[in-house]
Amino acid sequence: MAERNLVEKVIALEAVELLRSLSPDQLARVASIAQEVHFPPGKVIFEAGKDVDALYVVLDGSVAVSRGGEVLAHAQQNEVIGAWALFDDEPMQVTATAAEDVRVLKISRSDFYELLADNIEIAAGIFSTLVKRFRKLVEG
Amino acid sequence: MTKYWRQVFDIRTGEAGRAFSMAAYLLLVLFAYYILKPVSRALFLARFDIDRVPYLHILIALVGGIFATYYSKAAAKWSLRAAVTWTTAAAIGCLILFWWILQMKIPWMLYVFNIWASLFGVVTVAQGWLVAANVFDARAAKRLYGLVGLGAVVGAWAGSGFTAFMVKHLAPATLLLVCATLMLLAYGAFRIAIAQKGVSLAGVRAEASGGEAESFTARGMVRDIVHTRHLQVIILIVLITFLVDVMVEYQLQAAAKIEYGDDASGITRFMGGYFLWQNLATFFLQLFLTSVMVRAFGVGGTLLVMPVSIGLASLGALFLSGIYAAALVRMVEASSRYSFNRAGMELLYLPLPTELRNRTKAFVDIAFDRAGRGIGGMALVGLTWLGVGPKQLPLVVAALCAVWVVLARLAHREYARTIRRRLERRRLDLIDARVAVSDPATLRFLEETARGPAAPQAIYALSLLAESPGYELEPLLRSLAASAPPPVVAKAFEVAHRAGIGSLVREAEQQVERGEEAAVRAAAWYATLHAEDRRAAGARWLRHPNPLAVEGALEGLGETPELAQDLITVEWLTALAGAPDPGKRRLAAFALGIRGDQGTELLRRLLEDSHPRVLEAACAAAGKLKNRVYLPALLTLLANWRQRAAALAALTAYGVRIAGTLGDILQDDTAPPSLRRQIPRVLRSIREQRSVDVLLASIGDRDVSVRAAVLRALNRLREDAPHLDFGPQFVTRQILEEARHFCQLHAVLAPLGKDDAHRAVRLLRRTLEERTQRTVERLFRLLGLRYPPQDIYAAYRSVVRQSPEDVAAAVEFLEGVLDRPLRRVVVPILEPAANPAEKAKELFGIEYPSPAEALRELVRSKDPWLVACTIAAAGEAGLKALAPEIREAQRSAGAEVGAVARTALAALA
Repeated sequence: MAERNLVEKVIALEAVELLRSLSPDQLARVASIAQEVHFPPGKVIFEAGKDVDALYVVLDGSVAVSRGGEVLAHAQQNEVIGAWALFDDEPMQVTATAAEDVRVLKISRSDFYELLADNIEIAAGIFSTLVKRFRKLVEG
Repeated sequence: MTKYWRQVFDIRTGEAGRAFSMAAYLLLVLFAYYILKPVSRALFLARFDIDRVPYLHILIALVGGIFATYYSKAAAKWSLRAAVTWTTAAAIGCLILFWWILQMKIPWMLYVFNIWASLFGVVTVAQGWLVAANVFDARAAKRLYGLVGLGAVVGAWAGSGFTAFMVKHLAPATLLLVCATLMLLAYGAFRIAIAQKGVSLAGVRAEASGGEAESFTARGMVRDIVHTRHLQVIILIVLITFLVDVMVEYQLQAAAKIEYGDDASGITRFMGGYFLWQNLATFFLQLFLTSVMVRAFGVGGTLLVMPVSIGLASLGALFLSGIYAAALVRMVEASSRYSFNRAGMELLYLPLPTELRNRTKAFVDIAFDRAGRGIGGMALVGLTWLGVGPKQLPLVVAALCAVWVVLARLAHREYARTIRRRLERRRLDLIDARVAVSDPATLRFLEETARGPAAPQAIYALSLLAESPGYELEPLLRSLAASAPPPVVAKAFEVAHRAGIGSLVREAEQQVERGEEAAVRAAAWYATLHAEDRRAAGARWLRHPNPLAVEGALEGLGETPELAQDLITVEWLTALAGAPDPGKRRLAAFALGIRGDQGTELLRRLLEDSHPRVLEAACAAAGKLKNRVYLPALLTLLANWRQRAAALAALTAYGVRIAGTLGDILQDDTAPPSLRRQIPRVLRSIREQRSVDVLLASIGDRDVSVRAAVLRALNRLREDAPHLDFGPQFVTRQILEEARHFCQLHAVLAPLGKDDAHRAVRLLRRTLEERTQRTVERLFRLLGLRYPPQDIYAAYRSVVRQSPEDVAAAVEFLEGVLDRPLRRVVVPILEPAANPAEKAKELFGIEYPSPAEALRELVRSKDPWLVACTIAAAGEAGLKALAPEIREAQRSAGAEVGAVARTALAALA
């Protein structure tokens, strides 16, 4: 399968909640640092207790998210795994494994920070989404 | 002579012109007022019976209150310069008019004249102090208000003396022409004051609370008062002060009427003479006793002086009747009000939060002053009706003074409580206040806090004490330097140096050896600066193993450049710069900033170091030295987000001399956009005309992100330096360009419809909508360069909110503000009910294309993202007619657009 082009990556990223308040131009900049990666079934994407330095957006397939061998959830198309890895370098609490043939967009933390430093409005958009989510949690 | 005044009032270089012209301005205004005051009172008393006086007070309070409300609203819109000009012109006009009308002997005109005279006093004197507040900053005000205030006192004294003398030769009404001449001279002094170097009244409103006045609401004011006990006590004191003022003045007027009957000249002479003595007494009290009183007895004691002295004087007046007894009580009342009470009340406001103080002070001072006088007038009517005459009135005044004493005690308790609470929160804003703290209770409390265990509060209290004139700092600093928490120790050395106290060297040396991280640097700095043998001390600390001590010593040597040259040798620098430890390399960079780079190329090498802290110090050094050879390295670091802040600060430090170089990079299409976008950030911190010119040259840059950065910088400069010229014609052209761009975007957006089925089409539509919003933002940013930025921003917020009422209100505002050529274009495109297609055709001749034509136009644009998005939309919508343009884009655009074009062509095949 051919790798997705810039517009297709942007369309995929549009569905990511964390990036929801970004404009298409800003998403295009995020897409330009997003790398498409393929994982065959059973391949571990990241492991509990280990450092993760990237966020993954599922493009196709399903990813099993587990802790201590117990599957907690399945991440499907347009869902994000490892979102907090962008902001926090603590080891992950869960393991993510490709449940079938999986294609993801991978955004590495260092590339992402570099992008944010040059595009403060993207940082502001992400902050705004995080604050909305936090407020929702606080206000129930 | 000037030297003498300079020494007495601590006038610093460049301040003499504005200090003396401001003193002259207030002198002339007060001179005029103290002619007007006895003349207006005398003419009224000569014509009417004494029982009419209370009604005059009620009328003054009522009309004054209404006038104050309207004046505040109008003044919030006027510039201070315009307000002073128009007020002076109106005052001169009215004085000539009254001189003419009063000769016709129309009785009711005397009411009008007295009310006007009272308003004249309030407005012109308040304006005078407001001009002073904007001519001097807070620190200069603390030193120079004494001189300006002296001008006011001398003016009041001269005015009343002049009246008492001249009324023997001239009719009272004729003195009004003298007042008109004095006001003209006062205006001249005002123009001289604001023409002085460093004075700018641009953007200063004629309302003391500035922007707050615009957000003034009665409900907000009531809420502030209800929630602030401190404010309630202040209001009660203001009310009782003016209630008593009216009663005491009434007693004097009644005595004058009995003594002189209908002799207007006799009453004017008496009143002029009385005011002369009153002003002399005030001057004496103000100059010699008020600050002594404040220092000795604090706020509470100072506030007690007025009620106690009036109470005693009134009790005395019960036994000594006659005009001189009444004059004595009045003199005690007025002179203590203008000296002790004013100082006490100013201090009483001090602990309130700055915003609350700004919001409420002018209102409380004016509105409750009027209310107090109105209540006083009504009380006099009531007392007269009950049969209480001028003879029994002193008893009533004495009773009111007893209540006042209780209120003063309450005020002092409230003052201490507020200070304590706000100090705990580190929100006590005494530094910006225009009066100094010398109240003993407050000073004691600040000392306790400075010695306390909580470092942030202690540092804060110490900085407040350092600002207090006459406070003996050394004993406190010595004890803090020896045994306070390290951050407080550091602050103590800083304060000691600034206060010129150099006797803490032993404590500083001990602190360096103790090695507490937060104190070492400041201690070494102080020990180097104040050592008896600076060379030996500098050499000793430069060899110290603790890098913080070395840094402190270097900083100290920075203040003695010759010693720095001797002690910081090239060999020492080379050894540090070549050390594997980044901490040492950082010290080398720091030392280069202090010593200079003569005879060494080390800084260039350090600007390419791999360690961020070394780079940071190297940037700072380059910024200090301002040598152009470091510019390429700094610009490279500016493009790197990790070192950007340091590089920005360094480039800003170079100042206007590199504006041209920065402009060249900004205009260079081949320079990376990430660097070009940062250039406006440097320029916006260099508040010079050259920065504006350089930015304006790039205002129409093809890259919208660079254009937006340029506009943001220009907007910031407009706010920070409104006196700069933002090229109105140039900006107007650019506004019209953005308006055209807005219409073009609308034209290509409209044919895309509301189709959500095709994801790429939807993405293209979102892109265009977002571009339209950004264009509106840029349009408003440009408008902010030509019109008041705050108002334009408020209009922008209304447009962005998109509610029909808000947009309509913003459009209405713009219609009233914009010049015709801009109004003709900007208003129609923002109007909610506008037909965009019609407007685009009418304004710019833009025709709305078909969907295929719209997409063709976009594919041919030079914007890579827009091209990619359009190609994807065309492929998704099956627009085969666009295949040639897509093939062309595949050939000529970059790899990313090429990949999108490949997918689209495959779909169209």
